[in-house]
Amino acid sequence: MSKENKKIIKEATIATTEQITRKYFFKECFSGMGAMALGSMLQGCDWLGNKDSFNNFTNTNPLMARAPHFIGKAKSVIYLHMAGAPSQLELFDFKPDLLKLDGQDCPQSLLEGKKFAFIRGVPKMLGPQAVFKQRGQSGAWISDNLPHLATVADEISFLKAVQTDQFNHGPAQLLMHTGSPRLGRPSIGSWVTYGLGSENSNLPGFVVLTSGGNNPDAGKSVWGNGFLPSVYQGVQCRNEGDPVLFLKDPAGIDRDMRKASIDAINEANQLTYNEFKDPEIVARMAQYEMAFKMQISVPDVMNINDEPAYIHEMYGTQPGKASFANNVLLARKLVEKGVRFVQLFDWGWDSHGTDGSTAVDIGLINKCRSVDKPITALLLDLKQRGLLDETLVVWGGEFGRTPMQENRDGKTLPFKGRDHHTEAFTTWMAGGGIKQGSSFGETDEIGYSAISGKVTAYDMQATILNQLGFDHEKLTYSSQGRQFRLTDVHGRVINEIIA
Amino acid sequence: MDSLINLVGHFHPLLVHLPIGILLFAILIHWLSKKEKYVSFENIVPFAYLIGALSAILTCISGLALSTNGEYDEKILFYHQWLGILVAVLSITGVYFTKKKKEKYLQWVSAVLFIVITLTGHFGGTLTHGEGYLTKAGLANKTVKTKPTITNAQEAMVYSDIIQPILEEKCYGCHSQIKQKGKLRLDGKEWILKGGEDGIIIHNGNALKSELYKKIILDPVDEKHMPPKGKPQITEKERVLIEWWINTGGYFDKKVKELAQPATLIPILASLQNNSTKSSIIEDVPTNDIKLANQNSLTGLTKLGVTILKVANNSNYLTANFFTVVKTNDTIDNLLKTVSANIVWLKMPGMNFTSSLAGSISFCDSLTKLSIEHSSITDNQLKEFQKLTRLHYLNLVGTNITLKGLLQLKGLYKINELYLGQTSITNKDSLLIQKTFPKAKIIFGNYHTEFLPSDTVILKAPVKK
Repeated sequence: MSKENKKIIKEATIATTEQITRKYFFKECFSGMGAMALGSMLQGCDWLGNKDSFNNFTNTNPLMARAPHFIGKAKSVIYLHMAGAPSQLELFDFKPDLLKLDGQDCPQSLLEGKKFAFIRGVPKMLGPQAVFKQRGQSGAWISDNLPHLATVADEISFLKAVQTDQFNHGPAQLLMHTGSPRLGRPSIGSWVTYGLGSENSNLPGFVVLTSGGNNPDAGKSVWGNGFLPSVYQGVQCRNEGDPVLFLKDPAGIDRDMRKASIDAINEANQLTYNEFKDPEIVARMAQYEMAFKMQISVPDVMNINDEPAYIHEMYGTQPGKASFANNVLLARKLVEKGVRFVQLFDWGWDSHGTDGSTAVDIGLINKCRSVDKPITALLLDLKQRGLLDETLVVWGGEFGRTPMQENRDGKTLPFKGRDHHTEAFTTWMAGGGIKQGSSFGETDEIGYSAISGKVTAYDMQATILNQLGFDHEKLTYSSQGRQFRLTDVHGRVINEIIA
Repeated sequence: MDSLINLVGHFHPLLVHLPIGILLFAILIHWLSKKEKYVSFENIVPFAYLIGALSAILTCISGLALSTNGEYDEKILFYHQWLGILVAVLSITGVYFTKKKKEKYLQWVSAVLFIVITLTGHFGGTLTHGEGYLTKAGLANKTVKTKPTITNAQEAMVYSDIIQPILEEKCYGCHSQIKQKGKLRLDGKEWILKGGEDGIIIHNGNALKSELYKKIILDPVDEKHMPPKGKPQITEKERVLIEWWINTGGYFDKKVKELAQPATLIPILASLQNNSTKSSIIEDVPTNDIKLANQNSLTGLTKLGVTILKVANNSNYLTANFFTVVKTNDTIDNLLKTVSANIVWLKMPGMNFTSSLAGSISFCDSLTKLSIEHSSITDNQLKEFQKLTRLHYLNLVGTNITLKGLLQLKGLYKINELYLGQTSITNKDSLLIQKTFPKAKIIFGNYHTEFLPSDTVILKAPVKK
């Protein structure tokens, strides 16, 4: 132990002894005895089947790589969330019958007892605002809005009848990512990192990248750690400039000195942890370590400038500019380096039709153009690198859009748009042991409600965990006196799309 | 009239409990009243027998009404019916003897009555819950029954392996030997072909005309929907299977492969095959058991920056990656050798290869996946991997391997994924490579996305005049 360290430890010891006053001593004694008594009373209470549960938090290194329940096909996940909810009726769910009804009043039967975010009174039906074709050998319907993705249709499994019960962006996004429409639950990336740790000790297990000019409506809670130790929260990287700030050592401090100071701080923290056993202290220690390692690893992995020209052409990336394309390329690089969960949010898919940028025949097409090429390139690039089989790519929004044209406040809007719709929308998965060129679920002839193969956010979460090797019912964490899991009391693995 | 009989019949399950309770109670107090301590009970014995007898008569009437719908096994019904009537008769005799104070006869009557009530009750139970309900510990046992496992869906018998288990699980409760609601039995070919009270239930080749299928797809709130509300329903998958079975002719003796299979059916058939979703993955890891790897070696490797861990909690095989190790040394290479038998997946992208590392890897004879893309591996070092006979997946993207170097591995016939992008090997040699590795899916990469003028055009809203 160096001289500096000794000094810091001494200070820490003094600070600790100061706390142990007479009052403090008695308080500790009482609560301690109470806890001991309760502990002995509750012994043998194993009705939750805790033996099978998965308590994965280790004190020494919470981010250490860990094995899943069973052998999983996927090693990492890239989740592409189109925040605002893209219109399935202009992208994947082709409804020729809806065209015939275009401009007619919506039948009362579809409105009775239903509540919409903005539609009031009787809206008009709105036919598909895109040209659809069947693509690939699988014959998947993909519109001309996504000409690039259409070329890789045979890699994808579509879920055509996803349902949710939340029609506002924030709660719906939370439901998709944390399994609850309310705040406070860990996000799926946090659960995965808690379960698997980080495969690359120099990089976080869960990275978040945003684009489109805004964070998702639900805020940072969609990649939050909830009640899990905060070391498992998503690490958000900046979308412009340096991805992580303050990577360079300050003037006059060299790397060895920084290492020494972190070691000393951690040693002091370890003493505090030994006394209070607060997992947040371990989380803080792990984060200091990680930050130190990231100083070296991040500039390399987060730099897309050095990628060859053909890669930039393939993805349509422009280094230095904030874009979804850049984020997708980064996601590929991170997964290649062993990051478990990369979460991308692209904002701006909320096609209400209040102005040109939210019109399904104008703004939506622009959004499509900004993601079509990068997503296609991602699938192709992962494939040619031999990574698609072990990387699960998930695409989706938080809900769908109505077959009716939005009539906000009962007025006809200047542009063609659709309201939020909970009863049926499309998401897709590819790679990571998912079937190639398949489709599951159907909607009725106008795309209003799901008629078969209905799935929920919980089912998607259960499937993602299953592909990583987890039984979603057994990946649990004890909080507030009970075992919690991502899918709560729901969730079914969608075996129909698993290869 | 029929509906009145039906209504009366429906009271049987309610009324049946009265004579059992009251008569057994009557017998009990009758016996107790012989003891001095309970001698006062004697006064209520006649009344108890009387009420018991009345309830027994009512139960018989309702029981006869219920039996007219013909949904029950006739043999058991016969016993239950006549024993039930015997209960009524005996209890009336009991009333008579209590009135006449013929204590000796009453003793005999009560003893016989006790036995007859027990038997009647048992047969009644058999009628409603099915044969052997008493010895099988309730419903739990029924569900535990294992379905026949299908290893190859194409070889499975359509009826006995696929359809019959569905019927057994969802329909036998009311349509089999135990009960024949609607005069229908589904527990055998002859019964299914015979149909029920409304006639034939299967029109071969047309599910939509077949009652069996029509009842399933009726609106669940419809009274005629089957299985009835509240009972376990036919799942979507099972519905498709039944529809397909009828549409292809409703055969009882054909195999799956003998029938036409629409595209929508293929995933469903596949899902029958693997009860667990994991089976397709298992091939990446050998199925035979292996001992736990040396813990000291694992700790040692971890300390040196290698991420090495079990592929899953339930397996002793190992996966290792070298993301944070740029170059190995003798210690790592030696430690790797000590756990080589356990390693199945090895990931070392961008590794500075040495011949000693290649040598260590060649000891990993369980290895199925090897990712050494962008590494400095040479043809000579690759030669060492001839021994890796279990290799399924080989990633050589961005390496200096030549065609000649690759062909050194010709014995590795199990390779089914081979990644050769960004190497000197191009797809003009694909025929030769395919011949060498007949099972392999060879990926040369070089993918690109097309340039579309629309990619860079941003649409704008028309300006309103």
